[in-house]
Amino acid sequence: MTPRLHPFTTLTLAVCAAVVTTAAAYWPLSVAVALAAVILAARHGIAGRVLTAGAVILTPLCLSLLVLHGLFFPEGQTVLAQWGPARVTAEGLGFALELGTRTTACVLVFLLFSFTVSVPDLVSALAGRRIPPQFGFVLASTLTLLPAVAGRLDRIRQAQETRGMVVGRGLLSRLGTLRLQMVPLVLALIDDAGSRAQALDARGFGSPGPRTSYREVADPPAQRLFRAAALVFAAAAVAGRIVASWPTGAAS
Amino acid sequence: MSQPALTIIAPGQAADRRRRLLEIAGAAAIAATYIFLVLTQPADIANGPASFSALVALGGFLLGAVLLIVAVLPALPTSTVVLIPVALVLNVVLGQLMGSTGLPFYIDAIGTVLIAVLAGPAAGAATGALSSIVWSFFNPTVLPFAAGAALIGFLAGMAARGGLFRRFYLAPVAGFVTGILAGVVSAPIAAFVFGGTSGLGTGAIVSAFRAMGDTLLAAITKQALISDPMDKAIVFTIAALLAYALPRRTTFQFPFVRRYRVLAGKAPAAPEA
Repeated sequence: MTPRLHPFTTLTLAVCAAVVTTAAAYWPLSVAVALAAVILAARHGIAGRVLTAGAVILTPLCLSLLVLHGLFFPEGQTVLAQWGPARVTAEGLGFALELGTRTTACVLVFLLFSFTVSVPDLVSALAGRRIPPQFGFVLASTLTLLPAVAGRLDRIRQAQETRGMVVGRGLLSRLGTLRLQMVPLVLALIDDAGSRAQALDARGFGSPGPRTSYREVADPPAQRLFRAAALVFAAAAVAGRIVASWPTGAAS
Repeated sequence: MSQPALTIIAPGQAADRRRRLLEIAGAAAIAATYIFLVLTQPADIANGPASFSALVALGGFLLGAVLLIVAVLPALPTSTVVLIPVALVLNVVLGQLMGSTGLPFYIDAIGTVLIAVLAGPAAGAATGALSSIVWSFFNPTVLPFAAGAALIGFLAGMAARGGLFRRFYLAPVAGFVTGILAGVVSAPIAAFVFGGTSGLGTGAIVSAFRAMGDTLLAAITKQALISDPMDKAIVFTIAALLAYALPRRTTFQFPFVRRYRVLAGKAPAAPEA
């Protein structure tokens, strides 16, 4: 379907969806947003990745919410069950449901954005705005460094194992093997960064002034208009929420 | 172009002043958001999931973090900017390695603290905030904690500047104090945005305080005061161990380390020294 949306358009969409979901605080809407994110992910063929990453993040959070608010909610009035100090209240379960669905919706929407966005497009789009060019560098550099570091850590572990490193059972032995792997890794990374800094400086990375990007990302006027409309909608949702629940009573 | 000196110096000073203002505005946004949230916390969260407080917390803290990044990042030298991705990768990878030892702490700020020790408080704050933003590509739940991460980096840099890393036993103390402040600042995010903590262990501690009738914010703040200082004391200790395990040729190449004598011991004989 949409092969090339501008990175800012998808980012704006994700942010607005998250903001509106948070402002609305209405769990059917949260569920609908989460479902929409999953359907969109499926149409892009990344439903599996989004759901796996989402499950890793959300399962402990939702379980924790359920235990915390489901069993201990001192503000709750409608007691459904009680064991000693633990009381299951309808309000507590409702609160856990609201927050659980809201967080699920926001996490899935942002994961959908980060798994569909093309990082080179995002970086060149950022470079075109008044965002410090260093930000684009940090973003792109980190995303390319992560897999490289995993490989390097593997090589360090193999090298240390050839030199006789054995992962023992005791805590001290584990910490010892940890030190054998961490110090070479940190040293190599900081050393690399030093030489990278020199190479970048030689190419004028640190000098002020505008940057030229060889990569052009098309930004049709229709998408700009759409972004502006989405932002206005999100701002209206926030304003509505602020007017509706300005804490006049609670502040006193 | 014919008079580069005249055209460059004046904008440079103006930019410096603008940057200073942005830094102050960022710190003020974070502080004001925290105070506002504590003063106006909903008395009865049963009425609704604190959506207003969540929006204020997200907006205020993220605005503060972004202002700090915009203020600090362009002023950092290239040698520090290239360290920020390294710090983020270290946060992630070392956190996973520590997890493999089975210790019950989520040690996820080693890289930030290490960079703060080597390159100073401004670099530490930018690293903390940027780490949260970039890491949110894989785990969006860390994004709201950007302000807390910036605070950790800033305080670690201040501790290093004050010489707390020169005596080995002082590093965990600095980490303990940092953990108290960072935990208190991050508690409203956990309370109002997520309604709890992401770990089952920390969730159990919050449940215990809730069972005693505390409000959610109070319970999460108390839980943060139990776990965070310990966690940060360990992180600062590991960062100090790493800083001393690195060869001096590497650590003393950082101007911040040389200027404030951050680490004990003499600088190696360098051609420029």
